[in-house]
Amino acid sequence: MTGAPDPHRGEAGAGERGGAGPLPAGDLPGELADFAAAASVQHWLERSGDGDGARLADIAMLQRFCGSIGTNPDDLVAQCLRSTRSGDTAISAAGRRRTDQAITAFVAAEGATGRDAIVLGNKLRAFLIHNGIFMQGSAAID
Amino acid sequence: MEFNRVVGTRRSIRFFKSWRPVEREKLQVMFEAANRASRSMNADYFRAIVVNRDDLDAKTRDALRNPTTTADLDLAPTYIFWYIDLNYVEGAQDRLKELVDQHALSAAHGWSRAYVDDFLWPQVLEPISKDLNVVVFMGAVETGIAICNAINAAVDQGLGTCMHAFTANEQLKPLLGVPDSWLPVWLQLVGYPAEEPEAGGQRPRNAISKLFFEGHVDRPFEEDPEVTERLKRDGMIQTPGPFPYRAQEVKMLSRMYGLPE
Repeated sequence: MTGAPDPHRGEAGAGERGGAGPLPAGDLPGELADFAAAASVQHWLERSGDGDGARLADIAMLQRFCGSIGTNPDDLVAQCLRSTRSGDTAISAAGRRRTDQAITAFVAAEGATGRDAIVLGNKLRAFLIHNGIFMQGSAAID
Repeated sequence: MEFNRVVGTRRSIRFFKSWRPVEREKLQVMFEAANRASRSMNADYFRAIVVNRDDLDAKTRDALRNPTTTADLDLAPTYIFWYIDLNYVEGAQDRLKELVDQHALSAAHGWSRAYVDDFLWPQVLEPISKDLNVVVFMGAVETGIAICNAINAAVDQGLGTCMHAFTANEQLKPLLGVPDSWLPVWLQLVGYPAEEPEAGGQRPRNAISKLFFEGHVDRPFEEDPEVTERLKRDGMIQTPGPFPYRAQEVKMLSRMYGLPE
């Protein structure tokens, strides 16, 4: 992560796999391998992945999202954090808000509507949630 | 449901059947239970407004979101906004004399109408009513007792419920007509559980010997194993979580509602 506090610091289970997630980068198609090797992506997959093929689609979607806003996954997490005057790590309300708006815009650009839009947005939010960023996903109830 | 099982089955339910409304009669039972709760001065400490989720516009619902309350607001069909009415002391003098007249408060314990009029009201209660810290403290405790009755009444009727931080009061005040003297306390979400009522098993609790003492803090209140076994049979003490399939249950519920996993 670039110049940002480590959101995984002190979290139970973090780092237990020594950086190796359930979908090691080497098992992924070439274009996703580097992307999925990021610590934040591995952390997300460790916490939420169930190892099925759908995870590949999720990783690819995250990659498209990051590409759409010109960032990488670790920096995406870092942009939702800030350092306090006392040196503690805090979640940045402004960063969260910007990221949530970017997710909404991305979902719309992907052409998703209704339940699909909620699911797509919440998959991206799940990446941030598992990296310690509190995000608020709506439920698809209609 | 037997009382012990109601207490033991209560969980903070966060997955509701979003499509199933709560019957008005079940709300009435909850409110009547709250209204029967223990209360000092026989005062009406609390007020509550019940609102159907679908009667709130999206902007208002979004305003209620906070760091502990998110998708729950989408899923629960019924919201109960609980308040302390900071004017609860008003009328306490007459209510206490009413209790004296009913022999609920009697001479056996030192009570009389004169005691209320000449001592208790002017020297104790009226001064207390002017101390906001005491008013809020007592109001919070007594309102909490009433809410507890409402929670247990909900569980007894097969409902799920969870208490949530109550934010966005300023947006709600004009919408719900809330007077300035009402202080927001909790938002109670109510509905039918989409998860199993056990919600993955009973939550971790410390042994009562860590929390209760006999005569001195150095003497923990030790459990009687026979009583513990009876409470297990009665359902107050239940299988601790997480059930082996809890993670899968949450995953499937999350998928049903398109929530983050």
